[in-house]
Parts: sequence; structure tokens; C-alpha cells
Amino acid sequence: MQDYNFNEYFDRFPLAMAYVPWQHLTQIYEDLDKAYCTGTIFPELTKPFTGRRCVK
Amino acid sequence: MSGRMNSEQENMLRNIGIVDFVTVEMTEYLDTHPFDREAMEYFNHYMRMKNQMMRDYAAKYGPLSLSVADTCSKEWKWALQPMPWEGGC
Repeated sequence: MQDYNFNEYFDRFPLAMAYVPWQHLTQIYEDLDKAYCTGTIFPELTKPFTGRRCVK
Repeated sequence: MSGRMNSEQENMLRNIGIVDFVTVEMTEYLDTHPFDREAMEYFNHYMRMKNQMMRDYAAKYGPLSLSVADTCSKEWKWALQPMPWEGGC
């Protein structure tokens, strides 16, 4: 989900700083039991460690 | 923990845990988005639900927190109910 058009914003961001895209309330898990086991109610923040390089 | 609890009590406890988790998640979101009305409505909905579930649980099995420790009954259940190390929760 592309939050910003990064090229457009790059000139405003100083170098060597880390940036975290702003979260927008787009989705919430319907099944709260699954959210509870997953550890978040936001599907976008569901990032299970799969034991290997971060590939989509 | 579930030494002497019946399944309905365990079920209620788990559901309270889930709803409480939802309110914590939304609290964290609202901390960084304090003007998100939709998030606030969602939070209010689940906070009301949690409080009701806590009251229901307290009426049946005893208070889970002091905020629902009913003082109009003839005994102070908060102290009389089984402690966590006695199989309570």
C-alpha cells in the first residue's frame, strides 16, 4: 500500500533519518479471536516472522 | 490457572481477554491519531462491551478488578475469592 509518493517527498526529508509511513485506519480484523492469536487487530501490521529473508 | 474453573467461566475469561486486547490495540492507535473519530467510536463500542462483560463475570464468579468489586453485597468477594495461586484468576 503506497502511502506517499516517495519521490515527491524526498527533498523535504533530511538525509540519514529513518521514516515510518503513517498508519491509516483502513482495515480491522472481523474475527477478533484470530486477531487475538495474531497479536494485532490491524491486518496491515500482521508481519509474522517466517524464518527467512523478508520476501513478499 | 484453569485448575477449578468450569468451561463457561474459562470461556467468559477468554472473551474478556480478547475484548480487552482490542481496546488496548485501539488505545495505541488513538495515541497517535487522537482525532480519528471512527477509531474512537470503535474504541467506545468495545470499552462498553468489556465493562459489561467484566460486570457479568464479577456477578457470577467474583471481581476481576477493583473497578467491578461490588461493595453492596454482604461480603468482600475481592479478598474471599480464590487467589491466582489457589486456582483463581
